[in-house]
Amino acid sequence: MSTAASLHQSRKRKNAVMMTLCVIAAGIGLAWLALILGALIYKGLSGVNLAVFTEMTPPPGDAGGLLNAIYGSIMMTIIGIIVGTPIGVLAGTYMAEYGRFSKLTTVVRFINDILLSAPSIIIGLFVYELMVRPMGHFSAIAGAVALAILVIPVVVRTTEDMLNLVPNALREAGTAIGAPRWVVIRSVAYRAALSGIVTGILLAIARISGETAPLLFTALNNQFWSSNLNAPMASLPVTIFQFALSPYEEWQQLAWTGALIITLTVLGLSIFARSLTGRREDR
Amino acid sequence: MKPMLSTELNTPEVAVEKAKIEVKNLNFYYGQSKALKDINLSLPERSVTAFIGPSGCGKSTLLRVLNRIYELYPKQSAEGQVLLDGKNILDRSQDLNLLRTKIGMVFQKPTPFPMSIYENIAFGVRLYEKISKSEMDGRVEQALKRAALWTEVKDKLNASGLSLSGGQQQRLCIARTVAVKPEVILLDEPASALDPLSTAKIEELIDELQADYTIVIVTHNMQQAARVSKQTAFMYLGELVEFDRTEKIFTSPREKRTQDYITGRFG
Repeated sequence: MSTAASLHQSRKRKNAVMMTLCVIAAGIGLAWLALILGALIYKGLSGVNLAVFTEMTPPPGDAGGLLNAIYGSIMMTIIGIIVGTPIGVLAGTYMAEYGRFSKLTTVVRFINDILLSAPSIIIGLFVYELMVRPMGHFSAIAGAVALAILVIPVVVRTTEDMLNLVPNALREAGTAIGAPRWVVIRSVAYRAALSGIVTGILLAIARISGETAPLLFTALNNQFWSSNLNAPMASLPVTIFQFALSPYEEWQQLAWTGALIITLTVLGLSIFARSLTGRREDR
Repeated sequence: MKPMLSTELNTPEVAVEKAKIEVKNLNFYYGQSKALKDINLSLPERSVTAFIGPSGCGKSTLLRVLNRIYELYPKQSAEGQVLLDGKNILDRSQDLNLLRTKIGMVFQKPTPFPMSIYENIAFGVRLYEKISKSEMDGRVEQALKRAALWTEVKDKLNASGLSLSGGQQQRLCIARTVAVKPEVILLDEPASALDPLSTAKIEELIDELQADYTIVIVTHNMQQAARVSKQTAFMYLGELVEFDRTEKIFTSPREKRTQDYITGRFG
């Protein structure tokens, strides 16, 4: 009886120690996020005004905005998503549906995982060799291609995972009613996995909208307004990189503001993506 | 009526009725392992046949051969013959999608598609028929009535099929199967995931449907087999042990293994 009681006591103590350690670890992790967000809001919020969204990046010592950088980021992100998403969704569909039992799927999944964790600067260098050198100049389209390459593995992975979560019974039911395979995939499997696939695309947007390295080698930067896809184009991350390193106060302020805009956008997208998956699990 | 004695031993009476499906020398393999061993039986038209037996005896496998749904998976193969109205459906030239419109299937777990109640039924009909909206409305209503679900859902046809209860979902699946006008309906333990009330409803439904359809039901529940079927096949370890009129199987089976199973000595 007494040994049982002392055992109980010692377990309770161990439990308390372990729980304290876990809470501290979680607190440290969260603290960095809070510090980053706090610093961004403290330094960045004061610079947020209409000019940021209506004026171009200024020359040193002048006031200005980030319009061309915001436009460039949105443009290249959209093109990257438009190019990357169909490839990613179709590849994921092959792996989860047509090639579920094939060796090729295992190989593609392995390679995709490598691509998923490849440093983005390598992707930038690759596109530099592939497009920028042959074309002879930096261009927005090369930047968009680099972003698309980053989108593909994310979308492949989530599409495959989400389709694999669709119960086989549902596919069998579709097949048993006489539906050809592609109809089962389109009308049953995609519908069941829709929120998950959309979440994957949103996460891909969140990932590429903050990428700097692949754009440094491809789209470079542009002080001025440019909507020409065949010319260098500004983007928020590269502008932040350039302005934050500069000695000019106006530029540094704009860098803080730009960082705040990107962070809030990514945060918003992630929360939206989470809410989509959350709703799916509730059902 | 022939005298009982002369037919009892070798030719069960079910064999004399008109066969809708005839299974001849059927073997089935999961990879290398043989799951069905030389199955021979014929399923009479417009009548309910039950497959019973312990887990892993091959009853579901046999059912899944009848609409060739097993072909979704590699490494599963069947050899022998399955004749539907005299035509071998295991033939390579058989169009699988057309076969499945003739032989419908309802699964153990309710599997409503992730769409509205209306669309769940219209989906299958639209695959092979081009009909107007009003005709489609009629078809949906007819199918839901057939599955005894109409009064419960007629005011919420646009609600998601997933919003229904388990028993309702299963009846929706039966409605969906009936809507494409099959000739044969395969039921794979259709009530095993349902409560007793829903089960009773499904059994009632099976009883009504046999006027128009040839029905094959796989069930773990021997009382259910006794209640709903006209003839019963008892399977054990991939073999068809005994196939006869249901009352005969449950009152005076020929085989000792059947006797042991139905009296609860194993399985």
